[in-house]
Formats: sequence, C-alpha cells, structure tokens
Amino acid sequence: MATLSYSEVQEFVNNSHLEQYPKLNISILRNIVVETIEPYWRYFAIKMGFNAQVKFGEYDNVFQEAVGGMGNVLNKDTDVVMVFLKMDTISYDLANNYTALSVEQVHLEVKRIKEYIAAVLAGIRRQTDAFLLWHCFDLPTYPAYGIWDSQTSDGQLETLRELNRFLLSIIGSHTNTYCVDLNLCIARIGANNFFDPRYWHIGRAPFASAALYEIASENFKFIRARKGKNKKCIVLDCDNILWGGIVGEDGFAGVKLGKTYPGSAYCEFQQEVLNLYHRGVIIAICSKNNEDDVMEIFRNHPDMVLKEKHITNFKVNWQDKATNIRQIAKDLNIGLDSMVFFDDSEFEANLVREIVPEVEVIHMPPQKAVEYRNMLASCGFFDTLTITAEDKKRGLMYKAEVARKDLQKQSIDIQSYYKSLEMKLEICYADTFSIPRIAQLTQKTNQFNLTSVRYSESDINRLADSDDSDVMYVKLEDRFGDYGIVGVAILKHFADFFEIDTFLLSCRVTGRGVEDAFLVECMKLSGKRNKRAVRGRYIKSKKNQQVADFYKAHGFEVLEVKSDDTLYQFDLSKPYPDCPWYFKDNNVRL
Amino acid sequence: MKEKVKKVMSNIFQVPIKDITDDASPDTITGWDSLKHMNLVLALEEEFGVQFSDAQILELLNFQLILLTLKEVGVRE
Repeated sequence: MATLSYSEVQEFVNNSHLEQYPKLNISILRNIVVETIEPYWRYFAIKMGFNAQVKFGEYDNVFQEAVGGMGNVLNKDTDVVMVFLKMDTISYDLANNYTALSVEQVHLEVKRIKEYIAAVLAGIRRQTDAFLLWHCFDLPTYPAYGIWDSQTSDGQLETLRELNRFLLSIIGSHTNTYCVDLNLCIARIGANNFFDPRYWHIGRAPFASAALYEIASENFKFIRARKGKNKKCIVLDCDNILWGGIVGEDGFAGVKLGKTYPGSAYCEFQQEVLNLYHRGVIIAICSKNNEDDVMEIFRNHPDMVLKEKHITNFKVNWQDKATNIRQIAKDLNIGLDSMVFFDDSEFEANLVREIVPEVEVIHMPPQKAVEYRNMLASCGFFDTLTITAEDKKRGLMYKAEVARKDLQKQSIDIQSYYKSLEMKLEICYADTFSIPRIAQLTQKTNQFNLTSVRYSESDINRLADSDDSDVMYVKLEDRFGDYGIVGVAILKHFADFFEIDTFLLSCRVTGRGVEDAFLVECMKLSGKRNKRAVRGRYIKSKKNQQVADFYKAHGFEVLEVKSDDTLYQFDLSKPYPDCPWYFKDNNVRL
Repeated sequence: MKEKVKKVMSNIFQVPIKDITDDASPDTITGWDSLKHMNLVLALEEEFGVQFSDAQILELLNFQLILLTLKEVGVRE
C-alpha cells in the first residue's frame, strides 16, 4: 500500500485539514536521529482520524529526560511515548568492539544496560501512563564472530537477544507498554534496504526511507489497536479470491483450489483468513454468484480450508456489493468502519470505495494470487494488543447471532422471543481474569457507550482497587451460546451519590434488556451503600446517538446540560425500574 | 526536472511553490535546516529514482546545485 512517495506523503499531510481531528501527542526518546520518520507518522495518524503532534526529545538525552524529567518531553498531554535506543550509542563495545571483550566484560556491560533500561522505563512511568512503544535492539546482520557467532551462547547475537528478552520481560510487568520488534521490520524489507550508512555517518540517522515507512506502519498497528480503530470483520469475494476461476463458468471441479499450483495460493490465502478467524475476526462472504454454486464448494470441495461454519454471513446474490456490505453490517450489528472488503475486481473495489467509503477496501489482482496471503498478513488492520478467550469464540458467537435472528423472524412478539432465548446474566466486580477484556471494551465500544472514556488495563486495575470506585462487568449466556463479558460499568463514589463514570455494552447484545438489567443492578448497589442518588452522564460522540436518551428512559432527571455533556440524576427514594422479566437465574455478586 | 524539484522542495519545506526561486537556498528558505535536508534528500532520491553518494548529499547546498547533481547522477532535463 506504499503507493505514495515520500514527497507525496508530506504533501498529503500539508494539505490535510487537521483542525477537524483530535490531537495525538507523540513524544520520542531516542539516542539516534529519527526525525525523517515524522511525515509517515502524521500520515498514518490522519488515515486513522488523528492529528499527530510529534515532540522529539534531545538526541541521546534519554536518561536525563526519562529519569531526570528534563525538557518537558513527557507531560500530562502525552498520548504515546516511543523509545528508540540503538546499541551503537548505548554501548560502543557491545555493538562494535565485541570481539575485544572478555566474557566477564560482556556480562558487566549487559548488566549495566539492563539497569539502564529499567531506570528509563521506571522514569517514564513516573511521569506518564501514556501508551508506550519501546523498539527492541536490532540484531547485527554480520555479527562479531561471523559464522561462529550463531553457534555460541557467548556470541554477540545471543547477547543482544538476551537484552531483547529482558526488555520483553520488564515490559510485560508494566501495563500499557509494548515492544516493537524492529527485527521483524528489518526481515520484511531486508537489512540492506533498512539501514542507510550515508546518513548514519553524516547525521546519526540509521534508517533508510523504506525503513521509515515500515516502522511507522508497525507503530500504527499498535496505535490503531489501542485506539480501538482496528477492524473486526473480513468481507470476501469468492471467484479469484477464495479460488481461482469463476465457479459459474468453470464449474465445481474446474475452479483452481488445491495442494498444487495454482490452487495452492488460494488455499494459503484461505488458511490466513482462518488464522484471523481464530483470533476473533468475523468472516463474511459477498459474491455475485448463484448461491447454490458457492454453497456447493463450501460444503463439498475437498480442498476448502474455510468451511461453512466459519462464515457468519453469506451474501451470495446479484445485488450490488455496497448494498450487500451495508446489509452485513446491519445483520451483525457492527460499524461499516470496522470492515475490510477484499475483491479481485477493480470495478467492485472502486464501487464499494465510492459508495461506502467507511469500509476499507483491498483490491487483489488475480495475476498476483501468490501474493494474496502476504497482502492480508501485512495489512495489520486486525491486530489487537491482546487476544482474550472471548476473541477466540467470537466467530461462533456471531454465527449464533445469525441463528437468533432466524428465530426472531419466527417469534411474533419480541418479549416472548427474548424469553425463548433463555438469557442469563452474571454481574460481578472486575477481577484479574476480566480486567484485560474490560479495558478492551472501554477502548473499542463506540455505539452503546454513554461517556466513551477509554481506559488502559492499568487504569482499570487502579479503579478496581480503589475504595472510591467500583468496576463491574456483565456476562451473558443464552441457549445458543456464551457471549462472555459484554458490558462494563464503572461507578465513582461521592459523599451522598454514586456517579456512573462508564456504562457500555457490546453492540452484539444491545436492545434485548441486558442494559436495563445491568443499570438496575448499578442502582441497587448505590442504594445498598446508602447513597441518596445515582448520577450518570451522556457525553455525545459521533457514534453514540442511540444512547442519547438512555438515562431519561430509565427515569433519570436532567441535572445539568453543558453542550455535548448532559448530567442526569436518579433519586433513590423513588422505586427502581424493573429488571426485564424474561431474565432468569441471573447470578449477581455485588 | 526543474519543476519537479521545486514541487518536492515545496512539499518538504512546506512553502508555496512560487517561493522556491531559482536561487533558493537555506538562506532564502527558513525551514531548510540540516534535519529537513535529510527529508529533502530522501524525497529527491525517491522521486527521481537515484541515489546520491554521501559526499554529494552534503553538496546539495542550493537549488542550482541540486539540478547539477541530479544531472551528474544521470537524470535528464
């Protein structure tokens, strides 16, 4: 996708109307010159809807800025911190003079660098909780001991790997902190394309322009996931995407799909899709075809890697694809901006780009079928910061959702339909197991989210531990399956009232009373703690229109209106609203 | 070539193309410092599909020298 040149990227940034975007303040601590990467960061930020403001710390001033708090590089507005440490600058000996060192000297140097890393990380964390991306040490392409280096644990490679392992382990003990694997970036484009010795010598700037793109792209996979802008659903065309050829013309046996060329490329692509399915990405099909032809391949072709059970939604018909994609979004109750559409036809790709610009479109030319797998693997749209147990089950849950919709069509009145679902809730305080999922939900829930406050895992930990707040989650199960954790509420304690700081529900389960039951439990808890009232806010965002009247509908009264922020109050001397009758055997542990 | 160079310089230094005069240099363009010089070199190399030597990079001291050096590395008018 690197279709723009460096100059064009800068032009794109110059011409973007940035005032419309929220700021993304990025602070850089580094012992190399990396300023040339800035246009790419700003470019990726704009693509995600952010106005990146980059603040570079002084060259080779990392320790002073992190530990000494000098220079105001890190402050309360910092959203993202990035650390670039190159071994050459941190330890000339380990990087360049390795063969002259004794084992003891290496050991001492490693110890010094570990202490340095720990001190810098702790120093940063004393100043800010911001999202932290730490670039690991790159490994030398020509290690100090040549071919022997790879054979020995005393080699330069193993020493640097040990430092990288240390980095990973210390980062693992901090939340909101991640390691960017520079060596993966190097491997993708090759070290000779990654490093530019000219500017390394002229200005201590090691990275070539291809590296800048690759690093920035990798950085924004993290930032996209952190900001909840990662994609949730793959929409696939069939002919020349899942198999070679056209099933309507070439027939069941004539399509190219199998263990050998050219069908092997399509199998490989399907496997990559399936891998994403197991990471929690939803898969839908959108193809202009006779449904019977496509279903026959899905059901009976021996070389299909993707099976019918993996697909939540088939739209195989002769309607235009934009309409079909809109319908898929509606059926699955997800935003168009969380979908990525793959098609081999330039016409279809452009049509979807034109009519539903929110959808990310990837055009895959069939003469490049052997590259399909990497085109999908490299896009990074689906990357997440963690994979939870819920993610792994998501495909099944959405499949069940489609079954529920079918049942809904048969049920006459909605309440008896809800009853027939045999829904059961579990409402509890956050614990170690639920905290990652709770943080994830606050980060990516947009529609049913009263305040849209985003929290990291460390934030949730703190709120859950504090005596001044409660973090609660709701789990839902029905006769079609287990949804896992679907909602979060955070209550902040004040002298005579509780304020609902966060109230959100996964869009998969909205509109069936879970929100009512959950809110009632929040009110009961406030009553139980002898509070006089419960307050809640609605802070308007681009996407949460559907909950604008949520508090009003539950008997709250408006207390204060400030432009997009409305404060409501429910007086607890009044009777609580009822929990919907069709929930049975709810398990409430508050 | 001349116009293409001006376009690149205008993008990188974030000034209107008319401000890139034939005698443009770090003296006439405020944004042209040693850091932005790197951005300029990256952009020119990519735009013209060439690579300068490290010595040449340091010689690209004004608009005329850029044109001259581009010719040296094989870019035609």
